[in-house]
Amino acid sequence: MSNRKYGYYPGCPSESTAIEQDMSVKAVFEKLGVELEELEDWNCCGAAEVEDPEIVYALNARNLAIAEKKGVNIMTPCSICYYNLERSNKALKGSEELRAKIRGIDDSLAYNGGVEVKHVLDVLVNDIGIEELSGKIEKKVNVKVAPYYGCYIGRPPLTAFDDPDAPVLMDQLIEAIGGEAVPFDYRKAKCCGGPLMMTMQDIAFKMARDVLEGAKNAGADCIALACPLCGMMLDAKQEDIEEAFGIKIGLPVLYITQLLGLALGIDASKLGLNKNVVDTKPILGKVV
Amino acid sequence: MIKTWELDPEFKYEIMKESGGEHLTACFQCSTCTLGCPLTEIIPTYNPRKIIQMSLLGMRNEVLTNPDLWVCLICQTCTARCPQDVRIADLLGAIRRIAEREEEAGKLKIESVRPSFDKAFMHQIQKYGRLYDMGLAMEYYREKEGSFFKGMMTMSKDYKKFGMRLFKKGKMGVKSMFPVKVKDREVMKKIFEHMEAEKG
Repeated sequence: MSNRKYGYYPGCPSESTAIEQDMSVKAVFEKLGVELEELEDWNCCGAAEVEDPEIVYALNARNLAIAEKKGVNIMTPCSICYYNLERSNKALKGSEELRAKIRGIDDSLAYNGGVEVKHVLDVLVNDIGIEELSGKIEKKVNVKVAPYYGCYIGRPPLTAFDDPDAPVLMDQLIEAIGGEAVPFDYRKAKCCGGPLMMTMQDIAFKMARDVLEGAKNAGADCIALACPLCGMMLDAKQEDIEEAFGIKIGLPVLYITQLLGLALGIDASKLGLNKNVVDTKPILGKVV
Repeated sequence: MIKTWELDPEFKYEIMKESGGEHLTACFQCSTCTLGCPLTEIIPTYNPRKIIQMSLLGMRNEVLTNPDLWVCLICQTCTARCPQDVRIADLLGAIRRIAEREEEAGKLKIESVRPSFDKAFMHQIQKYGRLYDMGLAMEYYREKEGSFFKGMMTMSKDYKKFGMRLFKKGKMGVKSMFPVKVKDREVMKKIFEHMEAEKG
């Protein structure tokens, strides 16, 4: 029997650029009857910009301590938040000295190592399971999907929960909802360029272009992903990338929880399908 | 040409003391990190293996001023593939932090805007406990362009179409003009102050 309640860590983009991911996660879990309790007063995980691991550990010690006091394990929809929460969790669990040092900064950072951290994709496929999900499917999402995993699902080995180069969890979900995962070879887990979006845009755009063109050439109707930074690059910046290279992509980009939600019969507006930047209507037409 | 008398044999230990740099000497120069790096498709000269070798040799200044340090995407492909568990992505981060401290001490100049971006990001967390996109962009553009006014000009140019696109989807409205703050902001300040004091 899987754990039916999680401490929900939405991550900073959940309130702005990735609001549709947050909406779809909440709607899907409500439909599945799995309770999400948002961690009260959670703070930023440190993202990719806080480079000092000890600051990352301290920031997340607070998040972990909040979950520990509530007696819940953490689930987050963001791959970068997952990486930071889980590497902090591992470091803190593994060292009494580190726990003591961080506790010394402030009482609210006192964490005893009693929490597990999971990414939403891991929870859906491995905790809830394809079998239970399949039993609750109401509609066939008859789309060709390029499953895009990005970096922190299969890497680094310390926190990974899928294969680093050929991940499969999202493919399994796509199959379960009646979709078809197109061959997407090594681009599945190739970086979208997101970390350089603001500082070296030309390189970031070349990285994203490769993923977008790869998906399009594979015959995909849309891209599925599970990370707000990938969403920012591939969806919100898609028009800028088209303009920069004089190309046309026009590929809808959906969070995997949005696709799953459609299959579970949840209303498109509740899944935030009007919030994705590239029009998602062509996908809605294929839900039967 | 490498001048042996200019090498710093202590440099590798300096890196290994830094969190993330511990595994440096495990490298046996197989180049798997570089062969798998997606950046090499865009920048053919990009070579993390070489940065590691130069670090091991003690080419301190050449390593710390190498602009390639700031191009890494932290995608972890190198770390996942390394047969010696060197954890290259973390290692480059450790070297970047040494470079930043050297720059703060006025000993070298980093030819990249990335440290300004990272700092601006950290300031948002320090102040609010959450990422405040608008605050991050304003501080970053001010630092990058050299003045508040120039920063605002460039920012509004860069954001014109992108911002409108997000606005139309309700992702960049009036609400996003203001930061979302955690209640316990004092602890955020404490974390950063404590870590700064510790690193000297």
